[in-house]
Amino acid sequence: MNVLLVEDDMGVGEFIAAELCAAGHDCVHKVDGEAALQEARSTRYDVLIIDRMLPRMDGLTLIKTLRNTGSNVPMLVLSALGEVDDRVKGLHSGADDYLVKPFSMEELLARLEVLHRRSNAPPSSSQTTLEVEDLRMDLLSQEVSRNNEILTLQPREYKLLEYLMRHAGQVVTRAMLLEHVWGYHFDPQTNVIDVHVSRLRQKIDKEFETPLLSTVRGAGYRLGSE
Amino acid sequence: MPATGVFWPVKVRKVLTSLTFRYIAKYLAVLTLSVFLLQGALYGYFSYNFFGSLSETIVEELDTLQLIYNGQSIAGVTTYIDDQKAIPAVNRFYYLVLDEHGGKVAGDLEASPNFKEFSDGWVGFDVALLRWGESVEIDFLARRTDLGHGFQVMVARDYAGALEQSSLVFSTLFRAMIATLILGLIGGFFSASSTLNRVESLNSELSRIIRGDPSERLQPVLEQGHVRELSIIMNSMLDKMESLMLGVRRVSDNIAHDLRTPLTRMHNQLSQLRAGLSQATPEDVDNIIHECDDLLASFNALLRISTLETGERSTAATDVDLAALLRDVVELYEPLASEKHIDLSLKATSQICRGEANLLFQMFANLLDNAVKYTPDHGCIEVLLETHREGEHCVWISDSGPGISAADRKSVFRRFYRIESSRSEQPGHGLGLSLVQAIARYHDGAVLLLPNNPGLRVRVILP
Repeated sequence: MNVLLVEDDMGVGEFIAAELCAAGHDCVHKVDGEAALQEARSTRYDVLIIDRMLPRMDGLTLIKTLRNTGSNVPMLVLSALGEVDDRVKGLHSGADDYLVKPFSMEELLARLEVLHRRSNAPPSSSQTTLEVEDLRMDLLSQEVSRNNEILTLQPREYKLLEYLMRHAGQVVTRAMLLEHVWGYHFDPQTNVIDVHVSRLRQKIDKEFETPLLSTVRGAGYRLGSE
Repeated sequence: MPATGVFWPVKVRKVLTSLTFRYIAKYLAVLTLSVFLLQGALYGYFSYNFFGSLSETIVEELDTLQLIYNGQSIAGVTTYIDDQKAIPAVNRFYYLVLDEHGGKVAGDLEASPNFKEFSDGWVGFDVALLRWGESVEIDFLARRTDLGHGFQVMVARDYAGALEQSSLVFSTLFRAMIATLILGLIGGFFSASSTLNRVESLNSELSRIIRGDPSERLQPVLEQGHVRELSIIMNSMLDKMESLMLGVRRVSDNIAHDLRTPLTRMHNQLSQLRAGLSQATPEDVDNIIHECDDLLASFNALLRISTLETGERSTAATDVDLAALLRDVVELYEPLASEKHIDLSLKATSQICRGEANLLFQMFANLLDNAVKYTPDHGCIEVLLETHREGEHCVWISDSGPGISAADRKSVFRRFYRIESSRSEQPGHGLGLSLVQAIARYHDGAVLLLPNNPGLRVRVILP
């Protein structure tokens, strides 16, 4: 993945760039908004990571400017401003995702992966079934089966599985699940998500030989192989 | 504050430029001007009337003389005039009777009097009155008439006395007004300086309190009035300021204390790691990273609480169906509860409340998290939503756990406060309930903790 990182704090920026390289991605690091705009216009990137508070041109203006000139590259805002208002403003400006500092590198990587795959995947609005190996979900009849054996899921378990299947092979973090499956932005104090995932795992993996849903240490979960 | 010799000119200038003094001076100026105008109008009115009646008596006297002449000829007139001269009156008529050659026949006026004649009739008097300056040198008002056979009579009346009287009254009033003005200004000066003194003493007291001990208060002002009200308001402001200052101090003490512990622990772990670097396992490093994450989480929670406490209302508020939101929270915690065989129930009918769904979710999640954490296996938790009076929403979360003692009930909302018994048993950073309270207050609501015998009943009130 070819990443353009715009972050004015050298320490944070170099750390992210190093981690991205370690994870096998190419990363170009810029420290101000105008330089980043030039760079984004001249070179094709897979994904942009943009800090909100930047010298010369702030992050949201940078995103708006790029979007106005027809750029459809996925962009992720990285910001210390984490209130609901800030998030809404960030997403309104044209960003695809919003991550609040401090964040874990696993969370950032997982989100970048999702953004990257989403932009590359063919539009899937007409898709009526999701399949991961022998696990199959019919989006119309809401029927889930594995190895042709029908599984009975609770509504929330169905939603959870649907999200995991749509992001099969990718790491999905707990925060991403909370946002997309439960629809709330909040900070769980305990491992409440883990309990839901383990219930789902009981249903889809217990009776079968190869487990599909695996826990990625320190990051989240992954359905299917990488 | 007595004015000393050195400060006197400064003090005078201060008083003269003070609001009170300027107000009084303006008031006096307007008052004086209006009284002068009123006096002028009255003076004009009365003198007009005076001249009117004066001219009437002259006409009447002329008529009398005519009647006497008609009845007793010129001899009768002469006798009448001589009789009149003998009457010692203050305000009497003066006469002049002339024959056809202009020779004086009778009367006490000079044959060719040097008074000014007006155009005939009484119109002339009106003109004279309106143009006061023209007629001041005239001491007499007179009118002449032909008696017949060439005899002419002139009756005059002296009005200098009346004029003197009126100018006396006028000048007395004028002096009285000047005296009023001066006394008023002096009075204004003193009342302004006393107000100024009171304000200045308030000022100096306040600045002394701000510089020094914030627990001091302004001296109580006994006299009723604005200064008293002002000092009462200032005192309550000082109360508020002091409690805020104490609050900040307490919070920062807590933060310093509660963040020092994990930081020290981390420092120790790092020292150990440094000492035995060769035998270190990835788990040792993971522990430190975990410790660091916990600290970050504490900082985040603290930041959130203070943003909520001090922040202005954001625009993200929407209509939230509390029942649906509670269903989501309960559904989220249901697996955790069923792992402990806790009976978790919800009774709620659709109710719309204005607020931020994410924050409300966080609040109820924290409360339910606590309830599940502290309720023993096979216990029960009940969530109930009811409409309070006047559209207030009331959420009850009751559990069958150990409850919170009355002594701890107030303290548990404090940042980093943890009940002794739970410190070692349960994980947490002691900010969960602080956040709950901050969110409730952010929505103009309240959180109350009540005993449940056994257990705890949490009551959340939202407008």
